Amino acid sequence: MITLTNLSKIFRTELIETHALRDISLQINEGEFAALTGPSGSGKSTLLNILGTLEQFDDGDYQLDGKSVKGLSDAALSKLRNEKIGFIFQSFNLIKDFSIYDNIELPLRYRGLKPAQRKQRIEQALELVGLHARRSYLPSQLSGGQQQRVAIARAIAGQPRILLADEPTGNLDSLMARQVMELLEQINQQGCTILMVTHDPDQARRAGRHIQIIDGQLSDAVLYDPLAAQSA
Amino acid sequence: MEQFIYYLKVSLISIRRAPLPYALTIFILSVGLGVFFANATFYYQLNSDPLPEKSDKLFFPMLNLVPYECSTDCRTPRVLSYSNVEKLSQTDIPSQAAAMYSADGYLRQRADQTPLPVSIRITQRDFFAMFDVPVLHGSIWPDNSARPEVILTKATAQKLFGKSDVVGEKLLLDDRNVTVSAVLDDWQMLPRLYDANNRNHLSEADDIYLPLETGYDMNYLSNSQSQTFDDTDYRQLSTQGRTGALHQLQYWVKLDTPAQQQAYRQFMTNLVQDEKAAGRHPSPPNNQLVAMRDIVSYFGGDSSDIKAFALVTLLFLLVCLFNASHLSLNRYLSNQYEFSLRRALGASRSQLQLQMLADVLIMALFTITGALLTGYGGIKLMNNLLPANRLFSDWDLTLLLGLLTVAVICSYLVTLYPSLRASFGSLNQQLKE
Amino acid sequence: MSFYLLFKVLFSRKVVTGLLLLQLAMTLALLLNSILLAKQTHQQLNQPTGLDVDNTLLVQLKPTMASLRVYPALEELLNRQLDAVQAMPGVIAAAYTNQSAILQGGNNGNVYIDGEEDRTNQPSVPMYFVSKDFFNVLNSDVLQGELPQHSVSLDNPVQPDVVITKSLADKLFAGKPAVGQQLNRGRVAAVISDFYGQRHGTNIMFNNIQVAPPYSVDWGYGILLRVQPGQAENVRQQVDKVLRNVEPNIEILHVRTLAEQYQRLYRNEYGLATLLALLSALMLLVTMVSSYSSTHFHALKRQQEIGVKRALGASKKVIFLELLSENWLCTAIGALFGIGCALLLNKALSQVITIPPLDLYLPLLASLILLVCVTVATWYPAAIATRISPATATKAL
Repeated sequence: MITLTNLSKIFRTELIETHALRDISLQINEGEFAALTGPSGSGKSTLLNILGTLEQFDDGDYQLDGKSVKGLSDAALSKLRNEKIGFIFQSFNLIKDFSIYDNIELPLRYRGLKPAQRKQRIEQALELVGLHARRSYLPSQLSGGQQQRVAIARAIAGQPRILLADEPTGNLDSLMARQVMELLEQINQQGCTILMVTHDPDQARRAGRHIQIIDGQLSDAVLYDPLAAQSA
Repeated sequence: MEQFIYYLKVSLISIRRAPLPYALTIFILSVGLGVFFANATFYYQLNSDPLPEKSDKLFFPMLNLVPYECSTDCRTPRVLSYSNVEKLSQTDIPSQAAAMYSADGYLRQRADQTPLPVSIRITQRDFFAMFDVPVLHGSIWPDNSARPEVILTKATAQKLFGKSDVVGEKLLLDDRNVTVSAVLDDWQMLPRLYDANNRNHLSEADDIYLPLETGYDMNYLSNSQSQTFDDTDYRQLSTQGRTGALHQLQYWVKLDTPAQQQAYRQFMTNLVQDEKAAGRHPSPPNNQLVAMRDIVSYFGGDSSDIKAFALVTLLFLLVCLFNASHLSLNRYLSNQYEFSLRRALGASRSQLQLQMLADVLIMALFTITGALLTGYGGIKLMNNLLPANRLFSDWDLTLLLGLLTVAVICSYLVTLYPSLRASFGSLNQQLKE
Repeated sequence: MSFYLLFKVLFSRKVVTGLLLLQLAMTLALLLNSILLAKQTHQQLNQPTGLDVDNTLLVQLKPTMASLRVYPALEELLNRQLDAVQAMPGVIAAAYTNQSAILQGGNNGNVYIDGEEDRTNQPSVPMYFVSKDFFNVLNSDVLQGELPQHSVSLDNPVQPDVVITKSLADKLFAGKPAVGQQLNRGRVAAVISDFYGQRHGTNIMFNNIQVAPPYSVDWGYGILLRVQPGQAENVRQQVDKVLRNVEPNIEILHVRTLAEQYQRLYRNEYGLATLLALLSALMLLVTMVSSYSSTHFHALKRQQEIGVKRALGASKKVIFLELLSENWLCTAIGALFGIGCALLLNKALSQVITIPPLDLYLPLLASLILLVCVTVATWYPAAIATRISPATATKAL
């Protein structure tokens, strides 16, 4: 699904070079639910951005679905993001003056789907996150947990191959966070690969795989027993 | 005071933070106001009343007293014949009355000198009292009879003699001997409403003044409009011109009260009836008694170009105002966070409003400077493109104060809405955003 | 990008959009009417005059001594002046005339067929009293009859013959031969091609000419010169001296080509059209500033939104097009209102000046100009907005 080979990223300013990521090699398989943890400034956001093709890398290679993303044009990368990747952000990033429905519709419009197809997918996604009744609300009329569920609906409506979640529960209270986590697990069980950045060791434990990043390098990835994680 | 200086400082800091939008706001406001100023100047000057206390008491009587029977065009001629004026003068209802026309001539002291081309107003004694013309030296003609005496303006006297006190000096006016009986002080009636025919009200005052009877004796033809409605030979002005239908005179009467005005109207009606009875007035009566303040529009001499432009510049000012407020709204929105922060730190709304006032002041200062510069440039350009209105391009105190007020109001408007938006928005939401 | 969403974006910013629309509408209204006025002035300045305006010089002058303004001294002076200017190099023909062609108003009177005043009277026809070469100077074509060869005094018991222009002949005689007919001004000797007489006349091409010394020169008189092509400037520089050599007691009021005379005649229209054009340009500039700033600030305020859209798969091109189409839509709506405003302004202006009514293709042209300006102004801030990094923007709290 995702294969990183000796991937490096350097941030350059006039005075210093910072190695944000060094020589990272990583394989994420189809259907995995992986948690990415690490202290602040360790490079986990950079890694997530590179995986999401929001940022370029300097060395190494990144293959998504068996194809290298290196050297792709902006249009090709955008298409890739639109079709294969779903994003969930810590701050939800819903468009304020768009209704819930319009928010979810946005990536489908970029893909150029026909109205009937769009409608069907949006309905499905809303059904999944349980916000069908609130489709015409504005984001500001929803609670944080609901907003994040809308963001999840937006991410999965495009039926992506992989879902990238950047601390999806970071802005939520524990009850809401649990609901969101359950939703993500449900989505994962339906076959969607998920990579989630988190601070919360509990959440990391619940994921099928735990990837740790420290100082731009991967430390031992500890594989948890999925059965144990489920019972926790 | 110290507090207000602080507010000014804060304003300047916020300008420095985003200089481009601020500069654009000032630019747009300056251009809009400048263009408006330039046109407003002409509009104001052209429509100003040079004799506010008299302009509703001075009237131009016109009659259809002509030897032809009008068929299609029954408008009253814009100029009167000598005999028309004679008939209109046969009453003592007006407290003052003067007939007039203008001509060109050459003036010199001796026959061997290069002559000075002058414009001559050929008129009667009351002209000077009627239009408040200041006399510097000498005295105005004692009556309306012919006399070879001219009245000079100060500038003409200076040009000819190098001094102004030249009463009694001899001159050659088109090679005929005349004596200077008076010298006028600087005087410019703008617009020159006593001569509004053919848009002459836009011209400068004339150089010398000659008694009407002498003008006819010397055979001066009007340089503005003279019309004959019979076979009068216009080279025989002193004889045929006095009796025939040679029309070239404008005639002003001063009627102080509504009763006088009514009486004069009745007098005109009676006059026309008598003339009709005598068989000298074949056309249907169409008497006009036009007040001085209406004379320009009566003659169709309104400066339509300035009017058209006024309409358009007003629109332009509106557009600029909208635009500037839009720009400054954007500016304030980007400063909104700071505004909210100040309020969170305990600034009251009135304190924020004082801050706004400081903003308005600074903006007004820049805007006025820009607008005056643009306005000045605009006036120069308009003088170049529409030279007919050249005399009406001066700024006087009233006008300038009016313009400054407009500029301050505009700056206030442009700052008001945006800062209201910024200071009265929901505090909580803005800080969270 | 769907219209629905575009409208949503536009109308979520009611005030800003409203201001922009109003401004676009007014700009278009003004732009349209200035184009109209400019077009009209252009047409006026380019209408046929029937004259070789570039190669005809007008010297307007007046004797400064009263004794020179009466006959016979005057006629003698006129002839001496003509002889002198005729001899100037570059001059093809010269004639005196009581007044020039291409004037606002001047010496004019009514013309009618003798005995048929009621039916044929034409008021305000310019009356020219000229020397016999006048027709040669104007390069007139003789369409009927023969030109008078001798100057006859206006005081003569028999009036001098008249020459009239074609338009006047057509009006008076409706296609019947004019030569030999008796007008109130004299017998018609010839009909010549049309030339521009007086703007205030009933018809600018109506003219009545008699070969006779001017009745009086109290308003001065003109000497018209036809010069060889390219010689106008040379002759203009010399003519003052030549005339003063003949008689120093004259005032030369002005020396102009008829082309300059023509420009002066329409100076007001030209001035107003120029001013309006300048104002339109300023207005477009202001509109551009506002399009620029609105896109710029809008993009600035929506960095996060743009970042999210990028993350959701919008390419730079899509973002760019979105921002441009927002402005295009705004311009289109503004233009629609603008055409309405233009009609109103056109009505208002026609109360104070002559302005032709709006036709169909002009609004399209003006809208196009507006659209191009808005696009140019939006280009840069929109291009900047596409560079917003989705990674940073989506992180923003």
